[in-house]
Amino acid sequence: MAAEVLIFNLLSAVAIVSAVAMITMRNPVHSAIALVLTFVNVAAIFIMLRAEFLAAVQIIVYTGAVLVLILFVLMLVNPDDLPEFHSGKPMQNVFGFGVGLILLAEISVAILTRTVVAEPGPWNEEGVAAAGGNIQVIGQLLYSGYVLPIQATALVLLAATIGALFLGRPDEDQEPSPKRRTVATISLAHTRGADDDLIPALRAANIKREAGDRDLIMARDADEFTTSAEEEEKKGQSE
Amino acid sequence: MSSWLFLIPLLPLAAAVINFILGRWFLQHASQWLATLAVAGSFILSIPVFLEIVSDEQAISQHLYTWIPAGDFDIPVTLFVDQLTATMLLVVTGVGLLVHIYSIGYMHGDPGIYRFFSYLPLFVFSMLMLVMANNFLVLFVFWEAVGLCSFLLIGFWYRRRSAASAAKKAFIVNRVGDFGFGIGILLIFVTYGTIEYAGVFDMVGDASQTTITVIALLLFTGAIGKSAQLPLFVWLPDAMEGPTPVSALIHAATMVTAGIFVLARAYPVVSQSADAMMVISIVGIATAFVAATIAVTQYDIKKVVAYSTVSQLGFMAFAIGTGAWIAAIFHLVTHAFFKGLLFLGAGSVIHGMHEEQDMRKMGGLKKYMPITYWTFLIGAAANAGIIPLAGFWSKDEIILGTWLYDHTVIMVIAFITAFFTSLYMFRAVFMTFHGEERFNPDEVHPHESPRIMTIPLIVLAVFAATIGFIGFPPEDGWFHHFLINAFPGLTLPDVAWSTIFIFAGISTLIALSGLFIQYMAYVKKSISPAGIAGLLGPLYKLAANRWYLDEIYDVLIVRPLVAFSMFLWRFVDAQVIDGTVNGVATLVTYTSQQWRKAQTGLIANYVFAIALGAIIIIGAFMIFGSNLFQ
Amino acid sequence: MNELMPEQFMFLSAALFIIGMVGVLTRRNVLVIFMCVELMLASVNIAFVGFAWEFSQMTGQIFALFVIAIAAAEAVIGLGIIMALTRQRDTVDINEVRELRQ
Repeated sequence: MAAEVLIFNLLSAVAIVSAVAMITMRNPVHSAIALVLTFVNVAAIFIMLRAEFLAAVQIIVYTGAVLVLILFVLMLVNPDDLPEFHSGKPMQNVFGFGVGLILLAEISVAILTRTVVAEPGPWNEEGVAAAGGNIQVIGQLLYSGYVLPIQATALVLLAATIGALFLGRPDEDQEPSPKRRTVATISLAHTRGADDDLIPALRAANIKREAGDRDLIMARDADEFTTSAEEEEKKGQSE
Repeated sequence: MSSWLFLIPLLPLAAAVINFILGRWFLQHASQWLATLAVAGSFILSIPVFLEIVSDEQAISQHLYTWIPAGDFDIPVTLFVDQLTATMLLVVTGVGLLVHIYSIGYMHGDPGIYRFFSYLPLFVFSMLMLVMANNFLVLFVFWEAVGLCSFLLIGFWYRRRSAASAAKKAFIVNRVGDFGFGIGILLIFVTYGTIEYAGVFDMVGDASQTTITVIALLLFTGAIGKSAQLPLFVWLPDAMEGPTPVSALIHAATMVTAGIFVLARAYPVVSQSADAMMVISIVGIATAFVAATIAVTQYDIKKVVAYSTVSQLGFMAFAIGTGAWIAAIFHLVTHAFFKGLLFLGAGSVIHGMHEEQDMRKMGGLKKYMPITYWTFLIGAAANAGIIPLAGFWSKDEIILGTWLYDHTVIMVIAFITAFFTSLYMFRAVFMTFHGEERFNPDEVHPHESPRIMTIPLIVLAVFAATIGFIGFPPEDGWFHHFLINAFPGLTLPDVAWSTIFIFAGISTLIALSGLFIQYMAYVKKSISPAGIAGLLGPLYKLAANRWYLDEIYDVLIVRPLVAFSMFLWRFVDAQVIDGTVNGVATLVTYTSQQWRKAQTGLIANYVFAIALGAIIIIGAFMIFGSNLFQ
Repeated sequence: MNELMPEQFMFLSAALFIIGMVGVLTRRNVLVIFMCVELMLASVNIAFVGFAWEFSQMTGQIFALFVIAIAAAEAVIGLGIIMALTRQRDTVDINEVRELRQ
């Protein structure tokens, strides 16, 4: 018995420490790794709480799918685009921690001063074992009393899938009339953008370069720093 | 028979609704046939009803449904037909049918024809319900409904400013009378506890004499408005802005007689009050005289007929006032035919003259439109009281009534008015159809109207000539014996033939003298109308300017009202109300501007607010307790 | 303390939840905030499963299962939104995104 408590406390401690690490890590990849550790510990705690199936789902869905997805996105996002800071403004931090502490205090008081009273159900260790195990019990319950919620969840997942497809679809070529665009990004490495006489034009337009190490400038409209094919042709003829 | 009584008003209503909904997009000109057929159906159904009343001498009724059930008080919608109503049924549907047929020709090619042919059956429906009501409330509802139809049809050519304002004028002036009428009905309810005819009439004597007088006068107030009596008749001449068939049906034959009908319907009440009768007769004779003098001076052919209508309505009113009830209804019936005929004839003239209404620009039209001429002549003669046409019998009987019931002064004025009647009627005939042609032959090519318009004229002319014989011999005719059942307690006076002959003689003499004078003036040119006008001087000006009634109303009522409205608009509305509204709006805007600053757009702030909210809620649970945790 | 007490998993759940919340409140990287939200959801699962364990019931576990399912859906949508955001705005800084103000 004492071993069980010890193991629980140990797992809890690791989970909490890694959770704290997650919110303090400077690099988001490290945060993700810390979150994996937390989730694995949570899964272990599920096993201790006789929720073997949930533990498996936790590992598979959270650590297996969601976190891998997060890491994918982290990789897709240009690391240079990530903020060069990991924490918010000082006031934000103070308020955040303050709120956290108050909430912790409140919930602690609630947990310590009150008890939850409920009728014990049939699914103690023996009951679950008699039904064939945790997975069998959940399966039976899900597909008898929870059919409608399960269907609803299926719909939610379907909608989420379609939504993700919609959000993730590539940008359509939305340039039917270039004049419509008020802001365009061009690269100086571009054959046209690198035109020699563009640099004075940039200066004349008083455009500041953004983030010195990037070759990105903002144009006010699509034609600001580009010349049309006809004009190029004329230029070539005159020269 | 009584089981399908409801069809009589239902048919025109159905036609009106169908034409109104489908007319614009689907029916267009087909709407005219639908409306005409519906009214024809009503007319055909009315005949057996009338015959049944004639043979059984029993009122019939059909209960449709209970409109307002409220404890022991309920308002039934029950169709009720007695002798009076049966007469009105035939007049309304008969003249209505002829006017519908005539309108097919008159309104030909009008883009709003479906509107016209939905308003017109709607009017017929309302008028039928008005005469068939069995209680005062339903009567009042359809009293207003015919007013609405009148408004819609006067303003039918609503793009014309004068038509729109004439419609408004008719409606608003009628409000004055209807207000009194409504109060009268309320007073009836307060006094007798019921508004059903039968109940009220049984208990008339229970109320004090003063109450009865007040009720009768209030009902007459409604009649003053609707039947265009002094001082509210100013709307009727202006109502001529509407299409001419409308003038014929609504403003001559049926709706304007609703006031007379109501007085006759309320006979048990009205006849109990000698004072009210006296007021009615004075107002009636004054109206008859004033309108007749005005009619002599008018140049617009429709205005002449319109003032003539007012004058004839005055005749009916003072007939009721003097106690000649049946003569009043008799005159109502004959008047419906000959005045409908006159209006349709005038419409035919206007139609043939390319919308010209000024008689000074007519003349000599006899040879261009013979049918119109002869029918119009019959109508005019009937109106003027030439023996043996319809108007003679009824008008003569009214005047005879004044003598029989000892109203000598009224009798004298009535004779003078009859003289004026003859004057203006034949003036219109001679100015329009005889004498030299005063129109520009290059621009105007007078022509006879199409057959669909002349046939109703001929039918009406036949009736205008012969309908009077239902009341022959005077005071003892078939019509009197038929209608007497609707006036319990009324007895037909026994009149000596010598008296009848004397009055008929005087009447004929007067009518013929009017005819002669106008013949000399406008055909022989031996009398100069302008000379007479100059001779009369201010009196002529008074009549020509319609006794300055419009001007008086303008100064006394319209201008103060406009000034008061301006005050309400400029100060009360624009400053007080708008100021309050704008002030509230400004306050809201300011508050919102302040609150807007809370919307930073920073998600962190929103999350922070959520967290704070969670803390507060959990804290509240902790402090105030809840059954969430024990 | 020789037996597992309900207070223990309740405290664990509360602690993880609050850590997640503080993370949401203080971090600026939208991806990290997203991970914090996932952590908060997981912490609630602990409470569900813990109560199910304490009262020998299955409802809590089934509820936790639904929570995981919804969390998965939320992850898909959330990450999709983040992808669209980075593509359009070239940033993952939550304080740079102020569209909610409009």
